[in-house]
Amino acid sequence: MKQTQKNCKKLMSSSLLMLSLFGILVASPTFVMARVSTMKTTIAQITVTGKVTDSRNTPLEGISVTVKGAKTAVITDAKGIFTISTSDNGTLVFSAVGFLTKEVAVKNNKLINVVLTEQVSSLSDVVVVGYGTQSKKDLTGAVSQIKATQLENENPRSVGDMLRGNAPGLDVGFDASTKGSNASLQIRGKGTLTASSSPLIVLDGVIYPGGLEDINPNDIATIDILKDASSAAVFGARSANGVILISTKKGKSGKPIITFNDNIGFNKLANKPHLLDGNEMLDFRAEAIWSMMGYDSTSKPGMKYRYQNPTKLPSGSISQADWMALTGATGDVTTEWLNRLRLKPVEIANYQAGKMLDWEKLIYNDNALQHDHTVSIAQRRDDYNYYLSLGYLTNEGLTVGDTYKTFRTRLNLEATAAKFLTVGMNFQFSNRDESSIPVNLSDVTRTTPWGSYYAADGVTLRTSPNDDPGNNTHPFMDQTYTDRMYQYNNFFGSLYAKGKLPFGFSYQVNFSPRYDFLMQFNHQSALNPTIAAKKGVVDRRNQTTYSWQLDNILRWNQKLDKHTIEATFLFNAEKFQSWNSTMHAENFAPNDNLSFHSVQSGTLPATIASDDQMATGDALMGRINYNYDQKYFLTATARRDGYSAFGQQNPRATFPSVAISWALNEEKFMKGTQKWLDYAKLRVSYGENGNREIGRYAALSNLSSGTYVFVTSGGAAYNGSTVASSNLSNPSLKWERNSAINSGIDYSILNGKVSGSIDYYVRTTKDLLVNRSLPTVTGFSSILVNLGEVENKGFEMSMNTVNLERKNLTWKSTISFWLNRNKINHLYGATPDYDPATGKQIGSSEKDDLTNQWFIGHSISSVYNYGIQGVWQVADAALAKSYGYKPGDMRLVDLNNDGAYTIADKQFLGETTPKYSWNLRNDFRIYKNFDFSFTLYAKIGQLSSFSEATNSLLNGGNVFYDRANFYKIPYWTPSNPINDYAGIASNVGGPVSWNVFRPSSFVRLSNASLAYNVPSQLAKKWKFDNVKFYVNIVNAHVFTNWIYFDPENKNGTSGGAPTPYNVNFGLNITL
Amino acid sequence: MKNNIKYFSIFAYLLMVVVSSCNKDWLTPKPLSIYSPENTFVDATGFKAALGASAKNIRDEFFGDGAPIITENIFSDISVEGTDDKTGPAQNLDLLIRPDAQLNSADFNRIGWYWDQEWIGVRMANTIITRLPLAKALSDAERNSFMGQAYFFRAYNYYRLTNQFGDIPCPITEITTAKVDFATVKRDVILKRMKTDLEYAVQYVPWTGDKGTVNRGACYHLLTKINLALGLFDDAIASSTALINNGAYKLMTARFGVDAAISTKNVTWDLHRPDNKSAAANTEVLMLVTDRLGSAGAFGVGTNLGTRIMRQAVPGISIGTNIVTPNGKAGAAATGGNEIDIMNLYGRGIGRCRSTPYEYKDIWDDVKDLRHDSTSGNYMFMENVRYFAPALKTADPTYYGARMQLYDSKGKLLCADTLRSWYPWPHYKLYVPDTEANPMQGGHTDWYVFRLAETYLLRAEAYVWKGDMASAAADINVVRTRAKCSPYTASQVTGIGTILDERARELYWEEPRKTELTRIAYIFANTGKSYNGKTYTANSFSTSNFMVDRILEKNIFYRTNFVTLHNDMMKISQYHVLWPIPQSAILGNTGGRINQNVGYSGAELNVPALDKIPEQ
Repeated sequence: MKQTQKNCKKLMSSSLLMLSLFGILVASPTFVMARVSTMKTTIAQITVTGKVTDSRNTPLEGISVTVKGAKTAVITDAKGIFTISTSDNGTLVFSAVGFLTKEVAVKNNKLINVVLTEQVSSLSDVVVVGYGTQSKKDLTGAVSQIKATQLENENPRSVGDMLRGNAPGLDVGFDASTKGSNASLQIRGKGTLTASSSPLIVLDGVIYPGGLEDINPNDIATIDILKDASSAAVFGARSANGVILISTKKGKSGKPIITFNDNIGFNKLANKPHLLDGNEMLDFRAEAIWSMMGYDSTSKPGMKYRYQNPTKLPSGSISQADWMALTGATGDVTTEWLNRLRLKPVEIANYQAGKMLDWEKLIYNDNALQHDHTVSIAQRRDDYNYYLSLGYLTNEGLTVGDTYKTFRTRLNLEATAAKFLTVGMNFQFSNRDESSIPVNLSDVTRTTPWGSYYAADGVTLRTSPNDDPGNNTHPFMDQTYTDRMYQYNNFFGSLYAKGKLPFGFSYQVNFSPRYDFLMQFNHQSALNPTIAAKKGVVDRRNQTTYSWQLDNILRWNQKLDKHTIEATFLFNAEKFQSWNSTMHAENFAPNDNLSFHSVQSGTLPATIASDDQMATGDALMGRINYNYDQKYFLTATARRDGYSAFGQQNPRATFPSVAISWALNEEKFMKGTQKWLDYAKLRVSYGENGNREIGRYAALSNLSSGTYVFVTSGGAAYNGSTVASSNLSNPSLKWERNSAINSGIDYSILNGKVSGSIDYYVRTTKDLLVNRSLPTVTGFSSILVNLGEVENKGFEMSMNTVNLERKNLTWKSTISFWLNRNKINHLYGATPDYDPATGKQIGSSEKDDLTNQWFIGHSISSVYNYGIQGVWQVADAALAKSYGYKPGDMRLVDLNNDGAYTIADKQFLGETTPKYSWNLRNDFRIYKNFDFSFTLYAKIGQLSSFSEATNSLLNGGNVFYDRANFYKIPYWTPSNPINDYAGIASNVGGPVSWNVFRPSSFVRLSNASLAYNVPSQLAKKWKFDNVKFYVNIVNAHVFTNWIYFDPENKNGTSGGAPTPYNVNFGLNITL
Repeated sequence: MKNNIKYFSIFAYLLMVVVSSCNKDWLTPKPLSIYSPENTFVDATGFKAALGASAKNIRDEFFGDGAPIITENIFSDISVEGTDDKTGPAQNLDLLIRPDAQLNSADFNRIGWYWDQEWIGVRMANTIITRLPLAKALSDAERNSFMGQAYFFRAYNYYRLTNQFGDIPCPITEITTAKVDFATVKRDVILKRMKTDLEYAVQYVPWTGDKGTVNRGACYHLLTKINLALGLFDDAIASSTALINNGAYKLMTARFGVDAAISTKNVTWDLHRPDNKSAAANTEVLMLVTDRLGSAGAFGVGTNLGTRIMRQAVPGISIGTNIVTPNGKAGAAATGGNEIDIMNLYGRGIGRCRSTPYEYKDIWDDVKDLRHDSTSGNYMFMENVRYFAPALKTADPTYYGARMQLYDSKGKLLCADTLRSWYPWPHYKLYVPDTEANPMQGGHTDWYVFRLAETYLLRAEAYVWKGDMASAAADINVVRTRAKCSPYTASQVTGIGTILDERARELYWEEPRKTELTRIAYIFANTGKSYNGKTYTANSFSTSNFMVDRILEKNIFYRTNFVTLHNDMMKISQYHVLWPIPQSAILGNTGGRINQNVGYSGAELNVPALDKIPEQ
């Protein structure tokens, strides 16, 4: 042991010696040059002092102040003060990370105060790249960064909100729910047919298996998005869809900083179509029935007035008596009219009593409240730093009773245990309460304004407000009679130790466990009239998930002359386990008053089930970053992954990548450009990545078991067991393999006033994990296999500009634009073609998959359907009939003009993914203390399904128009022969099945915010470091031709939540 | 340095943990909650469970919303689709029955359901048949019995498939890889193989067993159907006689079971009580399927529980204001629990499976027939139902509680939709009390698949084909006299029509009517026998056949091209004798050609069907 110690000492001292020699070598030219210059000059030297502040007048510490052309350099102190010696006609250069560099001519001034402008994006920004960090300048791949601090005034409610509109190439979906975390994320197009296309989430350096809703956006410092294959390759087999790295906040040096961030907002309804009220509904109903009758007015004179209000018959039409005689009716005319409109007795009674239900008022909760409170404390000291936060969010939905609550806390702690050893922990706990039960919106359109809210007793909800229980149930039924507790608790932590080793080595180990506890308890009360016969129904589900990862990371840094080498090696292991139990009980006795707490009181045998799962994985990874003279950069990685889902025949796979970049501006021949060009770098990379996101046991044949009742000869019934395979096994299943080339350029011009990146990529995914359709003759519908090839090609550009820099106004913009072209190259390979006459094979070709709507040479999101050329008009009735339709129905295109609609008439109508997307963000600082910003994003050129135009399919589902209500949209009638909407209850079936698609391009003003920073002197007076008030509007406006709800969120008629816009008021205080 | 040592040892320790956890098995998949074929199909318990799954697989035909058997009924003389408030229901079959149309939906039809589910049945049976010889833990007796039972399930599904879809592929071993090169095999070839299999089964499957499992009686019964399908009438007489004469099974002729003490009821009522179908006393049942409230294997999810049979087949009394009193007031309510609780007496019907006048009127030739008797409550007529809307108590007290009438005194029609809301129905079959839905929709019950009554009718049919009308009458009379009808004389048996009428009387919602009509149509085509003076050939099967002629003769809706309130026309064509092969099956079979039936688009690409079943 002693010997080892000695050796160590020796090694350390020798390396120290080497280092100091280096120092001397590097420093000596400076020394020499300085001497030369003093010898040459006779110009007067003066001493300049001054103060450097930011645009809010806050002193800036640590700003580098240099004399241009000389090597003199100082930095500002804690009060922003500097003192430097320079020539009287020299120029001072002020620079620092995160600020635009500023040059000021001395002109014999001895006092120079400088205001520096914050940069939107800087080349010296530190970017997280997976198992390490790099400065942006050293990157070889395509990485976008989002700084959370820039979004503070926008009150992002979820990670998705932070990502939306802020990164090129990243498509963030729309989630209008109160939870708001299920917005889909997709980087650079869809490269898979059936596996998940969501990017990998990495939280503080560790692969994060949890949900984004458990991360408090207020805790986030930066988000980095690895888009090209080479930068993502360090995450190998899991990175085919790109990687999103989230870094949380750490302590800052100085005293403990306490921050309160509180905001209250209102959710309001956006773009809501009007739901017909009672009288509008009667007109609509008359039209609907008349339409269903085929507008048959020939059978009797006056028939066309049959459904019209007999008390308001147009003059000169028919008399009330004739109107009654149309059906041989006697008695009250209004009752007869309402009978003809198929109103139920309760509806007729309410109409006659003038009692109308205003469903819009009943179901919507306009001005729904949203509270978001986060308090944090953070500090950095020499030997430790910490960040602790507590956050509470409650969000009410736009429909009555919809509420989401979450409590989240985080502790980031790091301590220096010894000079060479740092230990730390990042810990996150969250609790989510998702117990609320929203109003059933699809039942709102299935009932009418003329129903009754309550049953005859005036207390119980009416089973069906208009007494049509087979068609609708009271929209509030579930909410009123269900007792629900859906609680989710989870812990995610990462414990780590990192140590320095000799020879430039360092070692880090992370252990990252995650526990997830889920309780879903549900009790449908026996008081609920729809299930009264079941005497109470209880469902309970408990699931515990425990997963862990272990990362061992060894790093080596060496700098030799102009060569810088950094090597990273990783050994990783992971395990996932979950235990799930469900139970179901009915028929409670003596009663179900104990809610879900007493399953054993259900008198029918309870159904219980369990499903436990387990998966394991491991990985080895090596990466080398090399650069020569900060000019030529090389990154090479290789990762070998193992995963148990592929464990039968292909447990492991290797994913390599390489990337090079070249800092052009450093070259001699670029000297002439130095005036305006700060920086330019060319990048090229190639990499392979994998996708493993399928079921943990997808490769195995699953023998599903169940029970079935048999009866003995004595008549006694018993449960026998049943087993049958539910899928074909595929032991040779393996990873999807993605290979991508990316080339790009990063640039910065005019002292950082304009900077940005341009990228072009081609990404090919092979061995797609696909549920291949099988002929059902096999008894299986599909088998999971690796086959086919999908290609994504795209272009991205982003640009940060400083447009205006005045004393009282700065204006900065970030603009990005991208497009992605998706194409299926191969599916199942060539298969034989047969001669129809002889049945002999005459060749082979590759076929499309019509079942799954996958077409070779076309995008995955292609819409292959029948073209709609308008609506069948009365004049074309005979022709319509020959096709199986009638006037008022949608008119399909008969592509081959053969007089019938067949599969041959289908055509490619477009795609459901956008052709182009762009983001535009503008930040203004006015009079030092006001910050104003707004963000626009756009998706252009996509189609969305609009089956509602048939006036027969509400949200894709068949609707009984003679029994339901509807939203107000146009409809065809013989006297209103429009061409874009069909008649009410039009024929949506017929010989072929089809759907209506309409363009849904839009530009959304997704956020506008205004903040006021109380001047720091005033804040100080109030004993605060910083006080800020802000107001912002989320989803302020959408510019589009789409008319039905929202172009990104057609929900609102069933299941999903309608689209909100939010107005938030916030207060941010730092102590 | 001390710290260095400590640090190195921590590092070494962690590395050890990591390395030791990564043993050879680290990446072997470990299914915790799922069984695998390798460790399940090894002993009697495993195979019994596999046979249990096969038994359960044939159950769903009779259950749930839009139960598949409705599609069998509407492709026949006894019913049409009555849903007339939306697009989709199979009424204009020319328009809606196409290879790439929606073929598996409660709102459309269930042709695709049959196709999928029957192939699943074939697959389940093939798995058992392939794996049985490999299981060493079985005795010969067990193995032979299990093999016979698996043969039964395979034959059951192929019998249905060949009479629904005609010539089809015929896998006979377990499929373990992505097989996509199937070829179509001739129907006769498949059925001959099934006959051989069942002749094996009737030697080894025990005569009786637990109800819900396969017994020898069911095997003989199915063998009889296949013998008939092959035109082997003597074999059919032999196989049915073997079953009838064995004595293990007898028709129920005396009162029994749960309602035996209710004197106003009768044996026909008893036979169809949910609790009586698998009762020890019931000697008539050969094969049944089970569905018990509260059992984990009970049919259904969500609100689609149990048979839903009253919802499907009872008229839509409560739909809209279809039924009004002579004073023009709504006569019915859709809610359960009213003072006159019609919705919980007969269920809330929607008239989806609408009987034809042939089924509820024309065939009833004996007023004593218990199967059509309304006085005992077996059969229900709309005139037996009372106006029950609670609002009538004040709005129209004269008619509140009065019997419903179709016309008022002046002859004005009082029902706005007679297709859907006005027709009689066999209450004794459809009444399945429902404790889960209010109003009732039709609850859980066992359901007959094969009854001995049908065996008699199958033998009677064989005699008819042979021209032995006296023997045929004798067999028919066994069934008729049990229902208290007067027996037929031999001269009253006029031909196959007599058999079909008796089947319609006895086997409503039990027999797969379309399957049987197609089977008979094949016999006509293959034998050249005449029906109503017309003969048929196999070559012109899809342009002229007995089945569609019979439907056009007896089913007034298709014959007259009845137009519904939704403006849909009832229409059937000759080629509908065979259902279309779903396009997805043809498309997925990229390595070969599965033929389409003539009359449907794609049939022009057909290649000759095989004369031999491929072994793989």
